[in-house]
Amino acid sequence: MRILTLVRQVPDAEETIRIREGKVDLASSKLVVDTMDEYGIEQALRFREQGLAEEVVAVGVGPTRMQDALRTALAMGADRAIHVQTEVMLDPIALSKVIADLARAEAADLIFSGGQQADWDSHALGAAVAERLNWPQATWTNALELNGSTLKGRHDTDEGSETFELPLPAVVTTQQGLNEPRYPTVPNIMRAKKKEIRAVPLEPSSATPLALVTGSEIQVKARRNKILDGKDAAAAGRQLVELLRNEARVIQ
Amino acid sequence: MSEQQTAMRIQGGSFLLEDAKPEDIFTLEDLSDTQQQIAQTTTEFAENEILPNIPRIESKDFAFTRALLHKAGELGLMSIDVPEQYGGLELDKVTSALVADKIAVCGSFSVAFSAHVGIGTLPLVWYGTEEQKQRYLPKLASGEWVASYALSEASSGSDAMNIRTQAVLSPDGRHYILNGEKMWISNAGMANLFTVFAKIDGEKFSAFLIEAGTPGLSVGAEEHKLGIRGSSTCPLVLSDCKVPVENLLGEAGKGHHIAFNTLNVGRYKLGSAAVGGAKIAFRNGVRYARERKAFGKPISSFGLVQQMIANSATGIFAGESAVYRVVGAIDASLAAMDKSAPNPSLETQKRIEEFAVECSILKVWCSEMLDRLVDDMLQVHGGYGYVEEFPAERSYRDSRINRIFEGTNEINRLIISGWMLKRAMQGRLALMPAIQRVMDEVMSGPVAREEQTGELAAARAMLASGKKLALFCAGVASQRFGTTLADEQEVMAALADILIEVLVLESCILRTEKMQGTRKLPVAMTRYYAAHAFGVMERAAETILSAAAEGDMLRTQMAVFRRLTKHDPENTVALGREIAAAMIDAGRYTMD
Repeated sequence: MRILTLVRQVPDAEETIRIREGKVDLASSKLVVDTMDEYGIEQALRFREQGLAEEVVAVGVGPTRMQDALRTALAMGADRAIHVQTEVMLDPIALSKVIADLARAEAADLIFSGGQQADWDSHALGAAVAERLNWPQATWTNALELNGSTLKGRHDTDEGSETFELPLPAVVTTQQGLNEPRYPTVPNIMRAKKKEIRAVPLEPSSATPLALVTGSEIQVKARRNKILDGKDAAAAGRQLVELLRNEARVIQ
Repeated sequence: MSEQQTAMRIQGGSFLLEDAKPEDIFTLEDLSDTQQQIAQTTTEFAENEILPNIPRIESKDFAFTRALLHKAGELGLMSIDVPEQYGGLELDKVTSALVADKIAVCGSFSVAFSAHVGIGTLPLVWYGTEEQKQRYLPKLASGEWVASYALSEASSGSDAMNIRTQAVLSPDGRHYILNGEKMWISNAGMANLFTVFAKIDGEKFSAFLIEAGTPGLSVGAEEHKLGIRGSSTCPLVLSDCKVPVENLLGEAGKGHHIAFNTLNVGRYKLGSAAVGGAKIAFRNGVRYARERKAFGKPISSFGLVQQMIANSATGIFAGESAVYRVVGAIDASLAAMDKSAPNPSLETQKRIEEFAVECSILKVWCSEMLDRLVDDMLQVHGGYGYVEEFPAERSYRDSRINRIFEGTNEINRLIISGWMLKRAMQGRLALMPAIQRVMDEVMSGPVAREEQTGELAAARAMLASGKKLALFCAGVASQRFGTTLADEQEVMAALADILIEVLVLESCILRTEKMQGTRKLPVAMTRYYAAHAFGVMERAAETILSAAAEGDMLRTQMAVFRRLTKHDPENTVALGREIAAAMIDAGRYTMD
């Protein structure tokens, strides 16, 4: 069995984001693997370590810098990587076409993708890939178990959670709670240097984004910088409730 | 490059006599992808495993700290300097310095880690027999075992050769019997393997590998320390401790090689760990300054807070520049080594020893930079800095040890100027001709100032003057004190101060030039640092000249001093604000 695990690059959550010429300035940001995708990589590696999969292939679509993210996936333990090279910012629907084509070419049985895509927050990529391949999908998973070609798991719903079961091949989106992604160990980082990152140029005609980002703005949250000293716990409690109700308006 | 040039490049102390070019030096901007990834793994370990657990570490929960050390070992962070055949990875020294830098978010853990991978493991790597290495190194590289190094005693610290611990061969010739007491031994309370120094028959200074639990070896009570409270520091008592003869490390009577060569590595790594410790203390201080309001504004908007931020950021930048330049030069020297040489460990140590002055400079400068920085960052916190709820208080306490261990800064200053003078006397460093040239030049009348252009013109001019000042002062002091110069400790230390600033300032300039002016911030920090460094050099030179001459002679020399130190002042207020603004915006030390 072969697992494709998608890797996307997003600015480090620790970083201050800047806007330049109407766009998020990625050139001056430190980019990391989207945490949501790390859960997918980790899950794929666990299935391989349990003897349930033969190969884990990390896939990244984007400019040259995407190779940094793929190298991280290889250092975590992925067997090889495919870098689809493009300077064009693809929307999730266009991107799903690239992924679906690759899944067919690689004869993949399972595709992992981060649940959210931290940069777009569209939640659409996994669903769009499944639709193109006509495969079942499971979204927002936080527990997975593989028996032969049947995948069982659990995912969040608005009210609580559901357990599910589906046959492979399938598309699965991942989220926090699914597992604890490993760090790349130093020996694995050294081993990863010998692993293949296959670069494939994206044919301009094969995926064209229809939705284009025309401008970005960053919402700045001003902090209130209020500290209740708590010397009189009861009074501090009353004051906090009062502030939450009338100033922050988060309770009624 | 010709062989002769390569030989010149690897000559320690040459920074004073030669003008290196930007392309000759290694900088943090030159890290390979692999080095960056290993740094990233270390950062993640520090942020996710160390930082959230500081209260447990500080409570002296050694079982926990040991487990955390083991975790670091599993990630491969303890195997960087260990050869592959013993479970290590044997990577370059820059990688090893990077790990020390990134793991230094908590002083206690950082010291436990360094004591293990540095002085705990390296003697075995360099001097162990095949059997000793097979037996212990895999366990140390994986973190399954923790190592400890026991040299100091109650009455011998800096004068390490005066230890009293004795070793005597047993009548059957199978054991050494050790008796004595060691003090301030890092990791003692959790170590499995000790490298203990003792004198065989009271004279042959030697090292022994002693496993924990060996009869006659006992660990005393934990010391109550000012800082690094979560690290273990205990006395070690050896009472008829029977050590198998095969556990003698290296040759009998040659233990001082082990002790001194290990220190060079310890010193540059202390430099990189101090830079790492500075970054976390700085982040805490800057973020506090952004959040805290006074007079209706964040305190980060006030000039005097910005000044502390600018001083601190520049300190980190200068420290990084010097550390990675020196460690990069050590790597270049080691990479050029013939690996099939009969004794590669000995050749490795020789090549590192070549940089003894630079290693001592990093130790002194970075530990003092860290001390100033934690003081400033505590000050930024005001009253909150003085209470335990904020990390500024711990950073302040933890920093202080760095000026004491791995050779006190006083000893290291004497090493810096002493080593240079000794090299010069041996004819291995062309210091005397250079001194003569400068003396002839300055005594013959006004000195033509070298024309410098570009954004760093003023900094370049200060560096050129600083080098001349060092040579002039060395010349005056040698003439006055002759062979007893080494006894004039205050003069020797002042000379060391000039040498230190020359190396650090040159490293900043070269690193910034290597970036080819693509960024404004390094230019501002280099100019800002140059102004500070030049002040230090001027004061040190005054100390030397006024101690070495009086009357008319002193007046003549002060005239030369004024000619050499003539410079245009930098607007450090404007530069400081520019530097602080970038740091406050990022909320951490940033070079972007």
